[in-house]
Amino acid sequence: MSGAFRLPSGGRIDRSRPVRFTFDGRDCRGFAGDTLASALLAEGRHLIGRSFKYHRPRGFLSAGSDEPNALVGVGRDEAHYTPNLRATQVELYDGLVAESQNRWPSLDLDVGGINNLLAPLLPAGFYYKTFMWPKKAWTSFYEPKIRAAAGLGRSPGAADADRYTQHYAHCEVLVVGGGPAGLAAALAASDSGQRVVLCDEQAEFGGSLLSERQAMIEGLPAAEWAGQAAAELAARANVTLLTRTTAFGYFPHNMIGLCERVTDHLGVADPRLPRERLWQLRAREVVICAGAHERPIVFPDNDRPGILLAEAGRTYVNRYAVQPGTRAVVFTATDSAYRAALDLRAAGIKVAAIADLRPEANGPWPTMARKAGIDVRTGTSVTGTSGRLRIRQAQLAPIRADGSVGTSEPVACDLLLMSGGFTPSVHLFSQSRGKLAWNANLGAYLPDVSVEAERSAGACRGVYGLEAVLADGFAQGAAAARAAGGTTSPVRGLAVKATDCGHDASSARRPTAAIACSPRPSSTGRTTSPPRTSSLPPARASSRSSTSSATRRPAWPPTRARPRT
Amino acid sequence: MLIIACPYCGPRPELEFRYGGEAHVARPVDPSTLSDEDWGAFLYQRANPRGLHAERWRHVHGCGRFFNALRDTTTDFFAATYETGTPRPAGTPADGETSR
Ligand SMILES: [Zn+2]
Repeated sequence: MSGAFRLPSGGRIDRSRPVRFTFDGRDCRGFAGDTLASALLAEGRHLIGRSFKYHRPRGFLSAGSDEPNALVGVGRDEAHYTPNLRATQVELYDGLVAESQNRWPSLDLDVGGINNLLAPLLPAGFYYKTFMWPKKAWTSFYEPKIRAAAGLGRSPGAADADRYTQHYAHCEVLVVGGGPAGLAAALAASDSGQRVVLCDEQAEFGGSLLSERQAMIEGLPAAEWAGQAAAELAARANVTLLTRTTAFGYFPHNMIGLCERVTDHLGVADPRLPRERLWQLRAREVVICAGAHERPIVFPDNDRPGILLAEAGRTYVNRYAVQPGTRAVVFTATDSAYRAALDLRAAGIKVAAIADLRPEANGPWPTMARKAGIDVRTGTSVTGTSGRLRIRQAQLAPIRADGSVGTSEPVACDLLLMSGGFTPSVHLFSQSRGKLAWNANLGAYLPDVSVEAERSAGACRGVYGLEAVLADGFAQGAAAARAAGGTTSPVRGLAVKATDCGHDASSARRPTAAIACSPRPSSTGRTTSPPRTSSLPPARASSRSSTSSATRRPAWPPTRARPRT
Repeated sequence: MLIIACPYCGPRPELEFRYGGEAHVARPVDPSTLSDEDWGAFLYQRANPRGLHAERWRHVHGCGRFFNALRDTTTDFFAATYETGTPRPAGTPADGETSR
């Protein structure tokens, strides 16, 4: 049976086009417009992978390209097999065959999970090649076993049967990212009549607008406005729209590398089409509209299946019409997670509590949440979670005025949404050799000095709030067109009806945020495991140097400050 | 990939060009009168500045001609390109200065 957690209505899926696929050999169903992740969540599956070393159960964390856990292998046969795809990006088609990775014999019963129990004997930095003795056993026994236990994914068993092509192109203005800022920038830039290219990594333009429930632009629901803006752009002869296209490289003199996935989303593709097309695009001006990534909060056992980023929870509910759980706890340091909580509630998910690290939260969204009767607990931290293959309960503890943590209280839940604020996505800007500057007010690095002929717009330069983002998109798009020698019409203003979340966020920088970071014995006295950090690489150098310097900590037992992987 | 403006053909991608070493290095009129040190210096010693650098490029997959270029070695941006035999454009910063 499929789709037990599918909402009866809503979402951007096409309910008239059911799709069948298999995951680990099991028949599953979804709809056109689903990703592999949303379809699996609709079936109630959160467990999607095992961690690299300790084989801890891992579930979906995000709903997009920032997904660190949900790595799957996809392909109907060996010649079309691709490992390590993010399930959150794999579009569903009829006959899709997907398998989980890094587990044996199966995802639910994984022998490697014993590493988690042996964790005290496998210190951070422990290397599998310790298994060198006896020498002969390395090639015959240890290596094959360890190779099976470690690593991510497997290589395809046959040569790639697909075709790949490349394409050189030129334009006056390239807009990277088709969210609100990108659509506005492309509209403004193409007013000049110059050649404009707009690319987005997803199948559909709109970005965050596709996950909005209430926001209105020009009297239209946000997602509808996005569709209309994309249609308006498509009708302009000077505009090239590229969906499913990732801008992966910023090369000197505004040469941008784009990877267009042409047929990956099709079950049966025209054999004349290549699988991927490499664009080497020379743009006179580039507008980067890459948006922002939500930050996870670091707390003990924050890697259980069922723990998602708040915006991801919103996306699954609003865009894919999927209930990622039935009873949620929201752990936040920002107002935006209150919006997510209300969206969940509107989809029939019970919100058991909102734990806010900040001593108070009085913005419009927290006020609405209280009015809706949600149990809002400010000055509260999540000190641990339990549940084997899925979160079953979260420990909520008050933070006292002196910064210490009070007695924790268990709250039953099968879903935990977390939000530690947002980090502007400055990757492409940094690749263009641009210099970043720290913005203390936003608690983030923002683009500062440009080297190439490029500019950023919207959330990727710290502009938040729908109206401000659209205005910034229009302004930067028009400025790019002018810099490329064009003339633009006056900047448009759009009538936006949306309640902002306010991202000035002292939130993530408040000292209380650090409380959630330190592993500590939980109220039950059991020592909790160290937390998972974000998808960013852990700061290894610091922990290493601290042990080697004058701290005089004995070498054994090893520190467990580093995250389990 | 860099865009290089050939003074004869216009802007072309880097692929069409070959680097030709430092520009404005005059061959001694009568090498036989030079000391070994001076001859060695002419042959081998080059400026290698950090910042603007006058250098020769050849448009091998184009007109085939040599020309001179002022390139900033820290950013790879070209301040100017000009024909061989003409002096460095007036008003451009000296070698080693930054172009920006
Ligand atoms: Zn030429």
